[in-house]
Amino acid sequence: MDLMRKLTILADSAKYDAACTSSGAGRAGGRGFGNTLAAGCCHSFSADGRCISLLKVLYTNHCIYDCRYCANRASNDVPRAAFLPQELARLTIEFYRRNYIEGLFLSSGVVKSPDYTMEQIIRALELIRYQHNFRGYIHAKAIPGASPGLVHKLGLLADRLSVNIEMPSELSLKRLAPQKSRRAILTPMAQIAAGHKQSEQEPAIYRNAPKFAVAGQATQMIIGASPESDYQIIRLASGLYSQYALKRVFYSAYIPTVEDTLLPAIDTKPPLLREHRLYQADWLMRQYHFTAEELLSEQTPNFNPYLDPKCNWAIHNLHVFPVDVNAAPRELLLRVPGIGPESVRRILYARRAGRLGLDDLKKIGVVLKRARYFILCADRPRGIHMGREAMTRALIDPGAITFGTEQLSMFDTAGTGLPGSGDVKTMQEAVEEAVLCLLAGI
Amino acid sequence: MPFGRNLTAAAVEYMYDGGLPGLYSCIYDCVYADEMPAHIRRAGETAFGLFPQKEVATDERRALRVRNAIHDKISPAALELVETVFYSCLKDKELHILRFLLLGFATGPAVMRMPGDARVHALKQAERHFWREQHLLLGFIRFTDYEGFLAAAITPKNYALPFLARHFCERYRHESFMIYDKTHSMALVYKEYKPEFVRLEKFCFNPPPEKEESYRALWKQFYNAIAIEARVNLKCRMTHMHKRYWENMPEMEDALLPGAPPRGAPSQIQERSPRGITDGALIL
Ligand code: SF4
Repeated sequence: MDLMRKLTILADSAKYDAACTSSGAGRAGGRGFGNTLAAGCCHSFSADGRCISLLKVLYTNHCIYDCRYCANRASNDVPRAAFLPQELARLTIEFYRRNYIEGLFLSSGVVKSPDYTMEQIIRALELIRYQHNFRGYIHAKAIPGASPGLVHKLGLLADRLSVNIEMPSELSLKRLAPQKSRRAILTPMAQIAAGHKQSEQEPAIYRNAPKFAVAGQATQMIIGASPESDYQIIRLASGLYSQYALKRVFYSAYIPTVEDTLLPAIDTKPPLLREHRLYQADWLMRQYHFTAEELLSEQTPNFNPYLDPKCNWAIHNLHVFPVDVNAAPRELLLRVPGIGPESVRRILYARRAGRLGLDDLKKIGVVLKRARYFILCADRPRGIHMGREAMTRALIDPGAITFGTEQLSMFDTAGTGLPGSGDVKTMQEAVEEAVLCLLAGI
Repeated sequence: MPFGRNLTAAAVEYMYDGGLPGLYSCIYDCVYADEMPAHIRRAGETAFGLFPQKEVATDERRALRVRNAIHDKISPAALELVETVFYSCLKDKELHILRFLLLGFATGPAVMRMPGDARVHALKQAERHFWREQHLLLGFIRFTDYEGFLAAAITPKNYALPFLARHFCERYRHESFMIYDKTHSMALVYKEYKPEFVRLEKFCFNPPPEKEESYRALWKQFYNAIAIEARVNLKCRMTHMHKRYWENMPEMEDALLPGAPPRGAPSQIQERSPRGITDGALIL
């Protein structure tokens, strides 16, 4: 099979994996070839608007497992291919020289056994690192069930490792990926966390010893193939962050590729809005010090489709506001809807020179559309009162409407009192409807 | 130096050679003549002849005095801001810089904490635009391999080459390469571990060798295969990767052909919102 055909098949079968960024491993060029940027770097954007940073491929899409949600499952009839180690190494290097990519993201189906598969991947990476002296970024997937020795070897070759948790609960994993056990997934995760930590703490005399997964580990779970609530999902994510020192948890909206009685019907639209809300919540947990329990609860287990999680929190915690931009500490400023870390930084900086009014805030680039209802400033010592309706209107996420109203049906609308998908026709109507519903809810 | 006071508006245009010491000399002269000129132009720029022109000869000694004054009397950060904005595409950047400096000499280091002031704001904005374009270019530059020599063309709005040089001289340390900035007719040539900037007025690349075509084809194929059809979102792509970068990117070549269907967008697929669905980074 020629390289073009292999690349087509193996890129196509890797495309649903979301855990693909190149950040977290700043490294200068030195004697080898290439370097990495700590901040990550997008080399292109594909037609779906996602950042292309790495050559994202499977080593092979042959697989002995039969995970029901996966197009490469053993029982599915699809064209199969496998790279040769030297082919993949050359391709990576040639793409990198032309600045097409920042490095390689390598995952794989399971051939013969987890250990056999890992050995193949390791061979390819060894060629890239040692023969081509490549110092760019490599993210590799550890195969659940592989032996610790091989996971360790892989960690010395890659900047980041990940093991996909796949399903948000053990029950769903049993149902949909019967050959993968929770333990087989968590064991390498724990090993990677420990290896990474140890490597970070190694004293400077070992500086030349190869580092173990410098950029840490990540994982991904599939959203919408199984019945878990948003609350369950973010609680799991927050647990993973703290127990396994994960750098990122990625959420991947389930896109049906195979008909299966255990899964959503083949024409089900991917729950993109829900995935978006989960990323937002994840971001709030990592960057804004929100806890999962602050964002959702057993009583409201799912995010509001019309509001981003931060606005949702604000609406349910109105007693915290208004916040005085000229006096409030960083953490409190961060909780104001419409004010992000960059705006907070600018406010803290600018207010050292004098008391800030609305115009000053505008000039330093703080967007006031939402924030104005929640702040006090020099020329508005008592805040701005424009009524709940105006406030609610400002808080509604226009993205929710343009994501398509069909998206809303992915949520349990009965619990939130929101209109179902059939009720609204135009954008205008959708916004009005949302305002009314939210007002009723506050 | 009598810096730090306002200048009297004058119906005159200053001209300088286009370099940073030239501009500093110009600023020195403005201050000593107590003139706030209507324009400061680089030599060669078309003037409309509305005002009499004063040509300022570059004086290294005076330039250094201005530069040191910025560093000592305002702050090193202010100097960095000014020198970044000098390479940016801010319209009338010379006058903006002059106004900022007058304010800075009057207020001292505190000027950097006054982003609300229009004079500071203009520079900050230009600086942000500059770095944003820089960052995007690091990823969007495409090299062609001419049998061992890598060559790339860029068409940036800001003068980016010195900053790109740092990154690529390290990344491709053991290679030879050039980056040709068509907008500013300048090229960075890196050979035998030495970077060099050369002026290149008109330059045409040879057609790429055959092997090159095959890697381009592989890259395009990868680019197309990696997009998820059920998530196609051309607006989102456009906000992240503006069309003006496409001309130098092989994967976007076909999308630029007249009448071509936008790549990866079969007609039955609807566009979705331009807001990021990739990351939470867009929430505020
Ligand atoms: S192990 Fe499961 S998810 Fe991975 S390729 Fe095989 S079938 Fe797909």
